Amino acid sequence: MIEAKGLTKVYGEKTAVGGVSFTVQAGRVTGFLGPNGAGKSTTMRMIMGLDSPTAGSVTVNGEPFAQHKAPLREIGALLDAKAVHTSRTAYNHLLAMAATHSIPTSRVREVIEMTGLSDVAKKKVKGFSLGMGQRLGIAAALLGDPQTIILDEPVNGLDPEGVVWVRNLVKYLASEGRTVFLSSHLMSEMALTADHLIVIGRGKIIADAPIAEIITGKGQARTRVRTDQPERLMQLLAGTGVSVEVHERELLEVSGLDPRGIARTALENQVMVYELTPLQASLEEAYMELTKDEVEYHSHITTGASVPAQAGGK
Amino acid sequence: MSTTTLDRRSIRNSVGPGPAFHRVLNSEFIKFRTLMSTLILLASTAIVMVGFAALAAWGTGSFAEQAARDPEAAAAIAAQGGDLAVSIPTSGISFAQLILGSLGVLLMSSEFTTGMARSTFAAVPKRLSPFLAKLIVVVVSAFLLTAVSTYIAGLVSLPIVDSYDLKLDLGSSQSIKLLLVNSIYVAAVAAIGMALGTIVRNSAGGIMSLVGIFFVLPIAFQLIPGDFFKEASKYLPTSTLSPLTAVEHVPDTLEAWQAALVLGAWVVVPVALAMILLKKRDV
Repeated sequence: MIEAKGLTKVYGEKTAVGGVSFTVQAGRVTGFLGPNGAGKSTTMRMIMGLDSPTAGSVTVNGEPFAQHKAPLREIGALLDAKAVHTSRTAYNHLLAMAATHSIPTSRVREVIEMTGLSDVAKKKVKGFSLGMGQRLGIAAALLGDPQTIILDEPVNGLDPEGVVWVRNLVKYLASEGRTVFLSSHLMSEMALTADHLIVIGRGKIIADAPIAEIITGKGQARTRVRTDQPERLMQLLAGTGVSVEVHERELLEVSGLDPRGIARTALENQVMVYELTPLQASLEEAYMELTKDEVEYHSHITTGASVPAQAGGK
Repeated sequence: MSTTTLDRRSIRNSVGPGPAFHRVLNSEFIKFRTLMSTLILLASTAIVMVGFAALAAWGTGSFAEQAARDPEAAAAIAAQGGDLAVSIPTSGISFAQLILGSLGVLLMSSEFTTGMARSTFAAVPKRLSPFLAKLIVVVVSAFLLTAVSTYIAGLVSLPIVDSYDLKLDLGSSQSIKLLLVNSIYVAAVAAIGMALGTIVRNSAGGIMSLVGIFFVLPIAFQLIPGDFFKEASKYLPTSTLSPLTAVEHVPDTLEAWQAALVLGAWVVVPVALAMILLKKRDV
């Protein structure tokens, strides 16, 4: 379990993390989501005692990280895939880390095999792809078989197979009762991986809730309807609490009425409907909604630019 | 690749051994011996030491040969105590100090430039323990390498010196003193280098500072006129070597015990500063 209380980090005039408090529970995957520069990595470095907080405190399994008698066996972290001397081989890197805690060589081999690095373990890290570097970082995090695992952007640079592997790994680790804290700026990945979500923007916690709640908390359920008589259906559906948007000639988006209700109205009035799809607000939309005021680096459409700054979701 | 190989040890009674100092020392030694660049620097130090000694043996020999025919040169030799050959094995010492001092810088600065420091200090959050472990590895290896290279350099020089009918006794008390003092001196330079690497966290900056202290300052202090700089230059680390190895006290230099204290201060101050900064700063 990780507990942050009023955790603050100020660099000169810039507040990277502004008094955040949260708890990461054991037995589930907690996602740490936020745009670039939101303070995710700074928060994680403070958890690991690498950066000291300007104010506030953070404990892991009840104690500040540095107070643990065997830190590697309590908390494993991937903070940065580049936290390695690149002229050393992957095996020797892990061996040197393991030596600090008398972790046996057999365990070093085990994590190498587990992370799929067997073929490159005796090669210098210099030649590793970003994905291989991530795997090595994850191997280092698992070395001490820790109760708490912190992974900063673990799927960065991984191929699709690696992404699925990380997803399954963290779910498995959480199912064993471990605390898993995972940061990402990819909401789609979080939607598939995390059970619980802490959303941070500009150094402040914007949301801290189960992932389902964050998704459903955003607006009402909507339904996509295709019909060859859109005008007539709009008239029929019009009523209290129902709003209809016209998207294309024969495509409507209805909110305030469930698909069954829409189908019944259409059937009773002999209107042909050829698509009826319940729409769930995506985590992406929920996230955009949550962070729209908190994004550090806004994209703007500059004059003459032909590319829209933000891809349309419709 | 499957996750099922993960140990099911999530519920444990005792956590297991932590980073006791001997384990951190072992870890630092693994880090030391698994870098090719380190091994290359060590090997080149040995080669330079032996090579320079051989050259010096040859040069000293031909000089002595000339001196035998030239009364003035003979007088000059006599003024130096008559023992020309004894300092031959340590002829390459200023290169050894540069290389091993730079190694000291690199071993610490590379932790920061590569990001390795985050792994190191996440594994051992009490940061002074890896620092001291690394310091021991650096100092001991610099000492041993200099001592062994000096001895080998002596052995290589022996036949050359012999061919000029000069005497070099590697077992003489002055030979042993030169070997030990020079090895301690190079170890001290390596420690200073490591402290500089910790303070500036940058390889180029650290090596430049080292070169500044050991090569630029001594020359600059000589060139700047005035008694102050003449006096101050006695307190540079490079000036401590000759009082420490002199057979008799040379006028206008520090006494041996003073030189030892000055060299000690040159080590302790940057090392202490490095430790304070390492503890205080974010990694």
